[in-house]
Amino acid sequence: MGNLLVNGRDQRFVLYEQLGVEKIFQSEKYADYSREVAEMMLGEAEKMAVEDVLPTYDKGDREGCTLKDGVVSVPQCYHQLYKKFCEAGWIAATKSPDIGGQGMPVTLFAACTEPFNAANFAFMMYPGLTWGAAGLIEKYGTEAQKSTYMTRMLTGEWAGTMCLTEPNAGTDVGAIRTTAKRRPDGTFSINGTKMFISSGDHNLTENIIHPVLARIEGDPAGTGGISLFIVPKYRVNDDGSLGEANDVVTGNIEHKMGIRGSATATLNFGENGNCIGELLGEERKGMKIMFLMMNEARLEVGMQGLGHATAAYEHAVQYAKERVQSRPIWEMENPAAEAVPIIQHPDVRRMLLWMKSYVEGIRAMNYFIAYCVDLASIAGTKEEKEKWFGMMELLTPLSKAFSSDMAVEIASLAIDVYGGYGYIQEYPIEQYMRDAKIACLYEGTNGIQALDLVGRKLAQNKGKNAMNLFAMIGETCQAARKCEELKPYAAFLEEAYTSLAGLTMKFKDWSASANMFIPILNARPYLMIMGDVVVGWLLMQAAAISAEKLGSILGADGLSAKPKRRAEARKNSEAAFYEGKLAAAKFFATTVLPAVKGRCRSIEIADKAPLEILEESFSV
Amino acid sequence: MHLVVCVKQAPDTEALIKLKPDGSGIEEAGIKWVMNPYDEYAVEEALRLKEKNGGDVTIVSLGPARAMESIRTALAMGADKGIHISDPSLDRADAFVAASALAAAIKSLPHDIILCGQRAIDDDSGQVGSILAELLGVPQLTIIMKLEVAGGVAKAVKAIEGAQVVLESALPCVVTAQKGLNEPRYASLPGIMKAKKKPVDVKNAAALGISVEQKARIIKMMPPPQRAAGKIIQGDDPEAKARELVRLLREEAKVI
Repeated sequence: MGNLLVNGRDQRFVLYEQLGVEKIFQSEKYADYSREVAEMMLGEAEKMAVEDVLPTYDKGDREGCTLKDGVVSVPQCYHQLYKKFCEAGWIAATKSPDIGGQGMPVTLFAACTEPFNAANFAFMMYPGLTWGAAGLIEKYGTEAQKSTYMTRMLTGEWAGTMCLTEPNAGTDVGAIRTTAKRRPDGTFSINGTKMFISSGDHNLTENIIHPVLARIEGDPAGTGGISLFIVPKYRVNDDGSLGEANDVVTGNIEHKMGIRGSATATLNFGENGNCIGELLGEERKGMKIMFLMMNEARLEVGMQGLGHATAAYEHAVQYAKERVQSRPIWEMENPAAEAVPIIQHPDVRRMLLWMKSYVEGIRAMNYFIAYCVDLASIAGTKEEKEKWFGMMELLTPLSKAFSSDMAVEIASLAIDVYGGYGYIQEYPIEQYMRDAKIACLYEGTNGIQALDLVGRKLAQNKGKNAMNLFAMIGETCQAARKCEELKPYAAFLEEAYTSLAGLTMKFKDWSASANMFIPILNARPYLMIMGDVVVGWLLMQAAAISAEKLGSILGADGLSAKPKRRAEARKNSEAAFYEGKLAAAKFFATTVLPAVKGRCRSIEIADKAPLEILEESFSV
Repeated sequence: MHLVVCVKQAPDTEALIKLKPDGSGIEEAGIKWVMNPYDEYAVEEALRLKEKNGGDVTIVSLGPARAMESIRTALAMGADKGIHISDPSLDRADAFVAASALAAAIKSLPHDIILCGQRAIDDDSGQVGSILAELLGVPQLTIIMKLEVAGGVAKAVKAIEGAQVVLESALPCVVTAQKGLNEPRYASLPGIMKAKKKPVDVKNAAALGISVEQKARIIKMMPPPQRAAGKIIQGDDPEAKARELVRLLREEAKVI
């Protein structure tokens, strides 16, 4: 479809052919949905992404955000776009129709927002934080809080944020110093400074609703003493009109490497002792409540990684087809030969196929996680609910950390495809790499994600979630072995996932031994191995489906008639698509998966050098 | 105010068009279909007229089963109901047959203004709106960039070479939409959910009581001739190269 952002055919493959998303449209919860409705939504999203969001991508980056006379201005071109985006109803898309939403399945939402994220994630931060913050009030707010704040956030009239980080409390949120003092009317006086607040202040909306973590005076130190407060930028009168400013002052906005259209603010709450907040949920339950938003936000950051990755890849493919440079390798001896498009050079093909396999694998992984959320929400039994919810929990750190780390790699390789042109601002590709990096850092750094995976998620449900995952991978191996063409490749997946399962068992055994710190030390490499295995699994699953579909296109001769296959793929885009799925799976199975065994072994050696080296010895 | 909009589904402007080997038409497999962009302006204008004056918007589309997608899109944008003229005998209708079918469907509807795109981007004939007006016996305002309706009169602006003309017409009339008339809205998510429940009548040729002969027949479709390769003027002296360029433009290309 060639929109430079997202491969719409692959989106539909994952949705309909790989996950079988139409199954959930049969449930009572999603009975209003059908493939026809899904197609219209995907179509409208793609259209808006290409025609309205993408043109703001480099403009927003060049213009950036400014803080002048106490007002934070976003790039001018965001205003009109924000209005259109809200009018189309995207902010409340997944919310229940009872509160003005469309009850959209999370899987479909993931697919619809992919082109938006690919087109300009900096812009998407504004609605993204708003639906997250509104979700907190939906779940934990009082009726009054819902009608005062949530309804106006879900239309986009007001925006939202999440205020956790402080100058001395980032990764260690328990160390926050912001305080809440009880006022006679039951509200709280908020005092403290929050920094790195995405969408913290801006002029897209007339009011901004901040969920703020703070400690009520007298409550214990650490995360167990933290409560959550709703703190509006402007107070709201009883009749719903805007009241006076609530003493939330923007100290500065950051000058960042990427996502420059997204305003990142330092906010001073109650500098003049005049900032009022309302408790959201119960006292001292702030962290637990905030985690609801953080978990969703982590999946959104995973989708951000996918967005940058797919846009960088689609740009690189397009460029490689158009850029003519150098004679082909088979004409090496012939100085008169003409230069060819660089997509014909082996090194460029290898880079492109590497990117393609990761992009498609990461797409399938993120859609699968979203699908787990949907399956859990419509599950008929407790066991089923636990299974899919557990799978989502296990894979959330992978979505966040693996997608974002790989997005940086993919954007970097896309620059390599462009050569020197990729490094200059005349071409859009350098911005993807700059924009992609933040996803490795916020919503919990990728190091923290790895600790969450190894320290909490692996052992959750007595390790059942991880075992469920390995069992599903095993099933795919079995299915792929039945296909003559995929059989040899399935063996690589088998070896990779059994190595990972072995390492995972070792981690368990080590938990009470002298090696107990080895899993912590190697949490990040472990996460990256698991990411590769999950991508390898989903690519193999896709390949098995594709082999069957391709077989039925080819008819009697089946997959064995190679020349006929090539001829068919040249004239039939469906055949070409399925051939692409097979190529990606085979490439991944033979270039990435064989290394998994060695990478697992490297951890199993359990060498402690990084733990034992003296600080003095790092740099002498 | 009763508004009727004729909508056609056409290949996406980005779609790669391949001809069938026998030249009888285009290969439809793998093509992404969209609402004809000029028809989007017509739908948007009808919705704005409805928002201003009240009334209803009916979408009429002639085409195979897939044309229902464009009807639903228009309904999701805010139109009220649809008529889908679907009949295999009409699949290859020429402009006259298409206009006859649309006229037959529209006759039975109350109509104050009938809006069409000024042409469809597929075969570019640009005739349907005008023939439709003739068949309905109403005035036509074609290729319109601005439209105002008040007091039973439609006032429209049309660009002609180097100038604009302002046209007035009594109602009912046919208006065909040109680019620039408006900026079409997106189908909103609530709109998409509501569109499913809006009524669409499906009618075939017999139900409309039409049986008309094609006036035009496609003999063969062929791609435009390939452009010849460009010529690069060799040499190191810019002045001599410029002189050669001028000579070629004058003597070979005969453009100056």
